[in-house]
Parts: sequence; C-alpha cells; structure tokens
Amino acid sequence: MVNFTVDEIRTMMDKKRNIRNMSVIAHVDHGKSTLTDSLVSKAGIIANARAGETRFTDTRKDEQDRCITIKSTAISMFFELEDKDLIFITNPDQCEKNQKGFLINLIDSPGHVDFSSEVTAALRVTDGALVVVDCVSGVCVQTETVLRQAIAERIKPILFMNKMDRALLELQLESEELYQTFQRIVENVNVIIATYNDDGGPMGEVRVDPSKGSVGFGSGLHGWAFTLKQFSEMYADKFKIDLVKLMNRLWGENFFNANTKKWSKQKDADNKRSFCMYVLDPIYKVFDAIMNFRKEEIDGLLKKLNIAIKHEDADKDGKALLKVVMRSWLPAGEALLQMIAIHLPSPVVAQKYRMEMLYEGPLDDEAAIGIKNCDPEAPLMMYISKMVPTSDKGRFYAFGRVFSGKVVTGQKARIMGPNYQPGKKDDMYEKTIQRTILMMGRYVEAIEDVPSGNICGLVGVDQFLVKTGTITTYKNAHNMKVMKFSVSPVVRVAVEPKNPADLPKLVEGLKRLAKSDPMVQCISEESGEYIVAGAGELHLEICLKDLEEDHACIPIKKSDPVVSYRETVNEESDQMCLSKSPNKHNRLFMKAQPMPDGLPEDIDEGRVNPRDDFKTRARYLGEKYQYDVTEARKIWCFGPEDTGPNILVDCTKGVQYLNEIKDSVVAGFQWATKEGVMAEENLRGVRFNIYDVTLHTDAIHRGGGQIIPTTRRCLYACLLTAKPRIMEPVYLCEIQCPEVAVGGIYGVLNRRRGHVFEESQVAGTPMFVVKAYLPVNESFGFTADLRSNTGGQAFPQCVFDHWQVLPGDPCEPGSKPYVVVQDTRKRKGLKEGLPDLSQYLDKL
Amino acid sequence: MFYLIGLGLGDAKDITVRGLEIIKQCDKVLLEGYTSILTVGKDVLEEFYQRPLIVADRELCESNIDDTLKEAKEKDVALLVVGDPLGATTHTDMLLRAKQFGVETQIIHNASIMNAVSCCGLQLYSFGETVSIPFWTDTWRPDSFFEKICENFSRNLHTLCLLDIKVKEPTEESLTKKVRQYMDPKFMTVQDAAKQLVQIIDNKPDTGIQRTNIAVGLSRVGAPDQRIAVMSLEKMLNLDLGPPLHSLVVPAPHLHPLEIDYLEQFR
Repeated sequence: MVNFTVDEIRTMMDKKRNIRNMSVIAHVDHGKSTLTDSLVSKAGIIANARAGETRFTDTRKDEQDRCITIKSTAISMFFELEDKDLIFITNPDQCEKNQKGFLINLIDSPGHVDFSSEVTAALRVTDGALVVVDCVSGVCVQTETVLRQAIAERIKPILFMNKMDRALLELQLESEELYQTFQRIVENVNVIIATYNDDGGPMGEVRVDPSKGSVGFGSGLHGWAFTLKQFSEMYADKFKIDLVKLMNRLWGENFFNANTKKWSKQKDADNKRSFCMYVLDPIYKVFDAIMNFRKEEIDGLLKKLNIAIKHEDADKDGKALLKVVMRSWLPAGEALLQMIAIHLPSPVVAQKYRMEMLYEGPLDDEAAIGIKNCDPEAPLMMYISKMVPTSDKGRFYAFGRVFSGKVVTGQKARIMGPNYQPGKKDDMYEKTIQRTILMMGRYVEAIEDVPSGNICGLVGVDQFLVKTGTITTYKNAHNMKVMKFSVSPVVRVAVEPKNPADLPKLVEGLKRLAKSDPMVQCISEESGEYIVAGAGELHLEICLKDLEEDHACIPIKKSDPVVSYRETVNEESDQMCLSKSPNKHNRLFMKAQPMPDGLPEDIDEGRVNPRDDFKTRARYLGEKYQYDVTEARKIWCFGPEDTGPNILVDCTKGVQYLNEIKDSVVAGFQWATKEGVMAEENLRGVRFNIYDVTLHTDAIHRGGGQIIPTTRRCLYACLLTAKPRIMEPVYLCEIQCPEVAVGGIYGVLNRRRGHVFEESQVAGTPMFVVKAYLPVNESFGFTADLRSNTGGQAFPQCVFDHWQVLPGDPCEPGSKPYVVVQDTRKRKGLKEGLPDLSQYLDKL
Repeated sequence: MFYLIGLGLGDAKDITVRGLEIIKQCDKVLLEGYTSILTVGKDVLEEFYQRPLIVADRELCESNIDDTLKEAKEKDVALLVVGDPLGATTHTDMLLRAKQFGVETQIIHNASIMNAVSCCGLQLYSFGETVSIPFWTDTWRPDSFFEKICENFSRNLHTLCLLDIKVKEPTEESLTKKVRQYMDPKFMTVQDAAKQLVQIIDNKPDTGIQRTNIAVGLSRVGAPDQRIAVMSLEKMLNLDLGPPLHSLVVPAPHLHPLEIDYLEQFR
C-alpha cells in the first residue's frame, strides 16, 4: 500500500496523461474481486490517517455472505513504471515527460447479470477495462455482455486469464492443451471485439494480443500473474534478442528446436511450441516439484529463479508453499499494473475518440472541444453516473467523472437531469457545489477541486438529480448522453407498508432506493400501488432488502413478482378506423400493422432512431424492410418515451392544417403506446399509419383537448382490429453442470416452457454448458428448482434476451394471453373483461 | 322536447320572453358553461328564473350528452347557451344526435357576437370568415388563422377574431392521464391577441398587414359597460379593456366613409 496525503493525490490529478481510469469486468465468479484485492494490496492509496485499516471492495455484509459483488466500488492506486518499461509507451499523450508515477482509478463491478447496470455505470466513467476470464470455464454469457457494452462505450479492453491454478491442479492439463485453451479464449474475446468494433474506427485496433503484452495469465487467488513481457525479460539477455521480437516469438505458431537451436513456424517431431517450452514448462516444473514434495528439486528451482523464501514461510509445503513461491516469482500486482499503465488509454487519449459518443450537443461547441482535449481550463463538464449512499441516511454522494474543466468546492454550476433540453428550464438547477470529495473505497476525503480526466464525488447534488445527470458551468451546454443498459427492469413487485400509517416512510424510502441503484424503477401507479421493478429475481431481492432495512426502515409487504408484458399486433387492421373528436368536428382515419421482424430490435439498439437524418433513415428502412421510402420519410415519431419500438407514419395526401395538430397526435400516440388497449402495458413492434384527417377550420376547435384523446381512441381501435397479441420477456439462460446433471436440467426447463438451443462440453473439462430460452415469467424460483433437481450441481445465469409473442388470442377467454391480460388488468385496478371496440371506433 | 335556448350577451334579462317561458315550464334546465360566459353568475340566473340550473361542462356536452337527450324523449329539457345556440358556438352535433334518438328539438335564437359586433360601426355585410385565436403554448403555436385574416383583408373584408377562453380545460399533462386536472379559468384579452398577432406579423413581413394597421378591440359587448377601442395593433399591446370577454376585429383596408366616421368616436 502507498501512503499519500490528499495534497499529493491532488498533484497527481493534474498529470492527466498519467491517469488511467479503468473498470474490472467479468462473468460472475471469475474472480474479479479477488484479483482486485491483489492489486490493491500492492498499490492501493491510503490517506495517512487511515493507514493500517484493511479495505476490501466488497464491504456490504450481504456481499460477503453471498460471495458476490453487488455494488461497484472505486479505488485509487499509485504505481511507478521503471525506465526500461517506460519505452513501451510510445504515444506522447500516454505519459507526461519525466513522470514515472501513474494514478490508477479502478472500479470493481459486479459480475452477476442482475447487477450489470452497475457495470454500465462503471464503464461510463472509465476509459479502459480489465476483462477477467476464468480459463477453465472460458468466455461466458456475461463476459460477452459486458465486453459488448465496453466496446460500444469505446472502452479499450485488456484480458486476464484467471484461475490458472485450477487448470494445473484440478484439471491437470498438458501444456499444449492449456495453450490451446488460452488461444481459444483470446480468439473468442477477439471475435466479440471484432463484431462490435470497426478496426478502421476512431478507436483503432482494440483486439487483445498476448505477444503485445495486452493479455495476462495467472491466478488471482494465489496472487501471481504474468504477461509475455515478464518472460521475455527473463530470456532476452540469454538469447541476445530484442525484447519486443522475443514477445512475438513466445506466442502463436512459433516452435523451437532445442537440439538444433532453430526456430520454426511448423510443428516437427523434435521441436516444441515456444510458449509451452519457455513459459509453461517452468511453471509446470515449479508446480510439479512443490505439489510432489520434492525438496531438493524445489531448492534448486528457487535458486535458479532467484527466489528467497522468508524465514516464516520456510516450513510451509504443498499448496501453501506453492502460493508463496509463485507470488514472489511472478507477483500479480506488478504484471497487472504494468499492463494497465502501458496498454490502457489515458483520459487525454480516450476522450478524443469518446467525445462524440458522450456528448449530445454540437460537436464543435466549447463543451465538446473541452471534452475532446480533456482541458482543465475549459468550461466544466461532468457526468454523474450513480449515487452512493452516505453514512447520513437518505443522503447520497453523486459519483462521476470530470470530462472537461474543474469541479471546485463552492462553485456555482448547472445541474442538468436527463430530461433537460437546452434553452428550457425543465430538470435544470443552478446551485452551488457544496463539497467535492475523493472517494476511496468506502470512505471519503474532502478535496478542494478536481480537474478533467478524474473521478470524484460531489456533496449536495443528490437533491437535484434522480440517478444520473450532467454538471456544467457552460450556459449553452447540452446533456451528456444517458447510459444505455444491457438489461431491462422486466420483473416487478408491488410493495406496501405492513402498517398503513407508515406509507409516507415507504414513499420516501422508494425515492432513496431509486437513487441508490442505477437501474431499479420505483413507480407509483395511478391505482395507488407502489411498484419496484428490477432486472431479475436476485436484483429485486437485494433492492427490497435495502428498501426495508436501509431506506424506509419499516416492515414491508410485497406481492409475488410479476413480469411486465408488451402488447403488439399480428396483422394489419381489418378496416379503416375512424374516431371523432369530442366536439365531432375532427375525424382521424388510421390503421395499425405489425413491424417486420428485426425492426423493433433495430430501434431498441438505436440503429434506427429518432435523431437520424430522415432521408438516411428512410433509405435504410426501404432497403432493409421494403418500406415505401416516401412514407418512411414521414415518420412523425417513435414511442413510448419518444424512442420506443413503435412508429407513427403520416400517409396522408394534402391535408390542410395537419402540422397544427401534429403535436397533439404525437402526444396521443405517446400515451397509447405507453398504455396499450389490452392491459395498459407498453406497445412493441406496431406501426400506425394516418391515412386521412378531417379538421374544423378554426384552430380553437382542434386543440389538444380535442385531438389527444381522439388519437388515443383511434389508435386503440386500430389495435383491436389488428389481431392484438401479448409479448412476454424471455431470458437467455446459461447453465453449467457436470454431464450427469444435464438430464435434470431438461426436466426443469420443460416444466417451465423453456427450450434448449445449444448444449456443448467445455473443452478440456467434464463440464457441460446448456443454453436455453426461458420465459421470465417462469423463472421465479428457477435457481432453487434447478439445484434441487441436479443435486446442487447446476448453476444458471439468466440475462434478458428478447420479447416473444405468447401464443394464443388474448380476446379468447381461457387462452393463456387472456389470463395474463385479465390478471394484469385486475392488478392495475382496471375494469375486468375485454376492451370494447365500440368505445373507440366511431361510425362515419 | 329538447330546447336549445340562446341567452344573449349581456345579463340575465337579455333572454327572450319565449325563452323565459320555456325555461319556467321545463323539467330540467342545463346551463352550458364552457364556450362563453355571461357577465352574471349562475346564482343570479337561478334567482331570475326562480328555478335551479345544472352547469354542463365540456365533458357533459360533448361526451356524455346522450343520456340527457334520451331523457328529453319523455320530458322537457332545455340547454341554455350564452349568445345564440348556433352562433359562434357549435351545437349542431347535439341536434343531429337528438334526431337519431327520435327526440324533437326547438331552437330559441338570440343575439350573438357574430351580429352584435356591428356595434363598432363596421358593416356586417363586409365581414369575411370568422376566426378564433387560441392561446399559444410553448410547443403549440398555430398561426393558420392569420392566413384567413390575410385572405379576408386582400378581398377587402373585415375579420372578426373570437378570443380563446378556457373555463374548465384540462391541463396538457393531465390530457394523457386518467385523472383530469383543470387549469384555472383563463380569458384571452385584446392585448394578448395583439401580442400573438404582432409576433406572426414580425415573422411574416410580406402579407400586407403591418403592426401599424388599425384594429378594433371590443369588450363585454351587449353589457352596459361595453367598451370599444380603435388603434394600431402596436398600440394595442398596451391596451387594457377591463374584464372579459374580449373580441378583436381586423378591419378591411378600404372602409366605407360611414364606417370611418363611426370608428372615429372610439379612437
């Protein structure tokens, strides 16, 4: 650990080229937190006063009990590169002149899919990611999800193969087999990177490559790690070969013949893969000697490797000794920190290409230029990515990253929420920043100011922001883009206080809960119900526990979890639907039709979005979905929330005053797509066409009061005449288990309407991976059910994957969707039964 | 029988004798309260008619009138409308529906702003299309009415502009919710209307109508304290014509000498 005063840290913050902001991301149980610990114990910064206390990133009691990370935690570290290593940094923006020390801000984030919103929040404030993969189980579903997100946010990845000790001790892999395993993982990771990143793009090549030193190997648990750089250093002198050249030789199809001393590109009878020979063999030897208690051999090896064993470790043997030896031979902290400092980008480098992804405003205004240059003298631009609870109940630190300018204690700044629009006053406050603070693990230190490129916390901002926001001193600044989550809150429960008198406490508690988690939604229904929506069962469980114990502090009754559904249509409306305005002077003629397959997903992913240039978008829709291009140019809006996967298309010809009612029609469309006709769930994948409109000549008789409700009625009529359908959310479920348990998995999945689409053996292990689709509605208690049916041997990871139509007609009593609609209506306090078309459809 | 009875413009006593007789013998009397208002309140009317009235708001008149109409099959029901029932306000749809249900109807006419506007001296024969000027919001700023003013103007016709009133209108946010919230009553003044007109004129300088064109502001037409003012639109930005209701006239470019003389007294 390194002892620093706040002033010394503050000095480091100005050296923006020597800063590395990074997150650690991985699948659950691949060993992130353990690995992070080994980094922290080597380089973690502790302010003088606090030195001596131990810190771990998992500080919550439930985190330790469950052995998983729930909240992401930031930690600062300091690390000095040696002169010989500094030459590996070629980009002048990656290191200040004559400055060896690096300030590394690391964020450890959860691996369980239910908490991936925490990962999203962490990625936003960092520029690089250490992707940890368990080399025994390989690339898993969550590895892919987080990596994909990282690439989308333009975060540069480096890779670490963890749990090598298991590969050696438990699986007893041969060295060639182990090489193949590594090679496969590197390839898998690079395939994912290549899918989501364009090599010609602004980030350039981001693929990981062991021969470049951007892939590490080792064991976080045992505290050792290396990259090819470490081994090349050991051999470079002996071989009289350039370090960089040697690194290239130590990976891939390079073979060395020990007898002829010749390199070759092909495997022959008497040569051996260089990686196995020079990297793995020495490690195998150490393992072999120690685990088989061959005392003399051990002593010889220790001398050869130049390792001195401390007196207190002298009588250890077996695994304990192995740990000590490996740790002093290949210390994990050193290798990883070198990798981080050399291969991850500094804010100066990263913000150049990240700016256009981060900023909503024009790319040449003062704020944009400030972000692009990471300029501490430019106007302040800071993004708040999450709220961290303080010891003061109900108050939060706003945690985020300064991208431009400086954030100063006592400074007056504009605090803008996600709904702020430039030029308007909604969701915007001009307030003083009460205090800027450094957040180091669990506790905080006051600091005068924080310059661009750094991560910090703010006091007093929490009252003005719900979860995230932008803080700026530039009057014309636009918002920084809101984060896109990879999971959606599809599971919901209704909560109420056990004692009705506690309701105000519950409401206050829900407000706090909404702040404390980047993803959770706390909704108060018009029926008076309070709903908490989360990504999955575990996420909700944690949220409700927090609500009960920390935020509301009252006993709470919760309903069984239910999922949210979507409403859609199956065919085009079977008639032209007409609705008249209340004063009967205005008439709307519309129809609904289903979107072609793939378009709703395109809209979800932002490939088709409301900000596109309408001509480009129309061409895309014409080419990919055979939409009529002239019609596709006249998409009035997307909905719900202006971005959802439903569209309203103007197919009218020469209607006078149409532009004067457009806003009202759009408002009605937003309303109807948010609360569909069947059960007031969101719509999905519906295209509405306006064919004709008859309007009163006088503007006063066609205002919002007339048009908005009429639009909704007409859209409802369109839905009811277009064979309405219900969609349910479906998880992609990945289950790891031994072969004997596979049968049990099938049984459980069948009972729960799941279906398996892939089953494969993890190469080199007896483990099987089963991939299946499972309706979220059937997933409650799935984990427990699976455990009991497989003797506790199967572990599922479920992540929301897609929406799927629930077979059957919701208008037919007795069908499955009918039951869903009725249950939902009942829960929402709506009239039971089916919506009546005659209420919405008028006669000519 | 379903009666639509005009109340005229001024106070309770402007009702016609026939109208008053019908009110007295009706089983149920509704007072339509959203398209216009009288200078006196509901209680004054009740006292004058010696009977209770039910106030009918927009929702009742537009969406829920069917039950009342069906009731009129057996009984006598009257709906009182300020001004003329088929004048500036439009209750034709109600009559059509009544016919559908087989209910007989009768209309008792009265004065409306559509004819009483002649009190300013401009001849009714030379009025063109009537327009309404709605309250603008941040996002909704229709100006199609201005095109009509220009059309009238180019054909040497006057334009009567009815000014927006919001007696019990739902707020924009609550329009997309189930529970309606209502705005406070709001009446557009001549000053407000002039403001919006001037903004449009500034955006469209080539229509022939300028800020300096004269306009006629009227308030509480038909009431004892009615006021009329003639001045340029620009000056009207600072005009206060007192309590509602207000109307505005954009006169034709070439006036009849008698019209000019009559307007002169309001300058």
